[in-house]
Amino acid sequence: MSDGEDGRRGDDRRQQNPNAEVAPSTPIRRGADEVRVRSAIRTELASDGPAKGEESHPDAAATPSKNVIALDNVFLAFDQPILEDVTFSASEGETIVVAGESGTGKSTILKLLLRLLVPDKGKVFIEDEEITELNFADALKVRQKMGMVFQGAALFDSMTVFENIAYPLREHTELDEAEIMARVTEKLSFVDLDPDRVLDQMPSDLSGGMRKRVGIARGMANNPKIMLYDEPTSGLDPLTTATITHLIIKLQRELGVTSVVVTHDIRSAFRMASKIAVLNEKKICFFGTPEEMAGSDDKYLHDFLGGF
Amino acid sequence: MLERFNDSAKRKVYALQEFFVLSGKAIGFAFSRPFYGGDLIQQMDAIGVQSLPIVLLTGFFTGMVLALQSSVQLKTFGATMYIGRLVAASMIRELGPVLAGLMVAGRVGSGIAAQLGSMRVTEQIDALNTLGTDPIRKLVTPRVLAALIMMPMLTVINDFAGILGGSVIASAYVGIPTSLYWRTVFEQIAAGGFIFKYIPNDFIHGLLKPFVFGGIISLVACNFGLKTTGGTEGVGVATTRTVVTASILLLVVDYFITQVLLAVLPS
Repeated sequence: MSDGEDGRRGDDRRQQNPNAEVAPSTPIRRGADEVRVRSAIRTELASDGPAKGEESHPDAAATPSKNVIALDNVFLAFDQPILEDVTFSASEGETIVVAGESGTGKSTILKLLLRLLVPDKGKVFIEDEEITELNFADALKVRQKMGMVFQGAALFDSMTVFENIAYPLREHTELDEAEIMARVTEKLSFVDLDPDRVLDQMPSDLSGGMRKRVGIARGMANNPKIMLYDEPTSGLDPLTTATITHLIIKLQRELGVTSVVVTHDIRSAFRMASKIAVLNEKKICFFGTPEEMAGSDDKYLHDFLGGF
Repeated sequence: MLERFNDSAKRKVYALQEFFVLSGKAIGFAFSRPFYGGDLIQQMDAIGVQSLPIVLLTGFFTGMVLALQSSVQLKTFGATMYIGRLVAASMIRELGPVLAGLMVAGRVGSGIAAQLGSMRVTEQIDALNTLGTDPIRKLVTPRVLAALIMMPMLTVINDFAGILGGSVIASAYVGIPTSLYWRTVFEQIAAGGFIFKYIPNDFIHGLLKPFVFGGIISLVACNFGLKTTGGTEGVGVATTRTVVTASILLLVVDYFITQVLLAVLPS
């Protein structure tokens, strides 16, 4: 069953009896925090304004300085060309949304940033370090600077929620168990999940939206400077989509994290993006702010935005 | 036509090269840090301990049927007292390792391929990579080591269960005293000759083969599992390919090991 189906199933259950107390052993739960967050998001969606009630991180408030991420004239082909002459960069604290039709190579860009793929031509920089020439061991070190949230959350299904989030900490830090527990609890609270309820649950016990949030908590466990999101809202209902979008904005504003978000969801893209890169015909046909995109006369962008 | 054949040949050579690279890395990671000891123990349990019932059952019944069939043939020569020798030689040298191997290929090989295949299609392998973990070190090395360690142990248990099954038939059906049966079993083990004075040659046959089979089964399973594409259907394909390939390889390699061992360790 896909995340989307699972997520919808969870919401169906909630819709049947939204005020019901759910027993602790029930896989899909609705905590008081979740009610509060969802209520805030409903209000936010109704006004369609920027996210409210969030204090800006002092670093994030500062003017963007150096490039944290940069792709420089990147070409990539497998059997056929995938990307041609792709260039864009993200400064510290910026959120870049990569949008485009299906199969245009959006997720490939994330794999290039993670150095899971190496471009045929061009360069990829992470914090001014060129990563295209790195060997496998050095690439693993670079990946530790980044947190990745997968389309299907990609939680390890043989591990509990706690073990999933603790995994990068056990792998790459010297933290003791008490410190790991504190960090995991902190991250779960950040993504508006009740640690006491979800820590010992298996990923299969969670709804699609909860899995995505645990995925975000795992991605940010090591306090990375860069977060990458692959279709973070795909297959989710509008309310859960808003919850995830809200979290991405919160991460940027409160922690000053630089983010690259691959999404089809234009509504969410406009809410979270500092800049939007639109991929078409293997190339970036637009790179600019949401306002610039909305004001563009380009026919393709008009068609792509549709009635938005 | 020629071009298509050429492409297909290239793909096969490339796949073979990938298999050997995976095997080399998996073995190499056993001697460097970080080493996932907990995963090794977990896999030894999954591959070894949890395979015990199936191995015991197949071994016991194989020994029984072997004793039963051979008793019919040996009776015509009045040589039923040699049933123990025949069962022991067959079980220790051939049937024990091969049957345990086939059982493990079916149970464990398919399980490994399905597990890693599911992890691949649900992006869990990519997640490991992005979390700075080498999937081969974390997933393949513990499974290969566990199979290398547990397969010989399972085979010894399978051999013993088989000889025990033969003993039951020999005493209950053929009417051979149990003490005579077991004496002929030990005579057979001694008759095979010894290496370094004390280690029976039969044990070398019986332990080297499952060690190699363990490597083949785990590496083939990990290889197909990690290369899974095409969603859940792909997981099924990877599982089937694993069982078929590992079983065939096991029988082919068994022949060559036997040839080599007979040349090196003559009775």
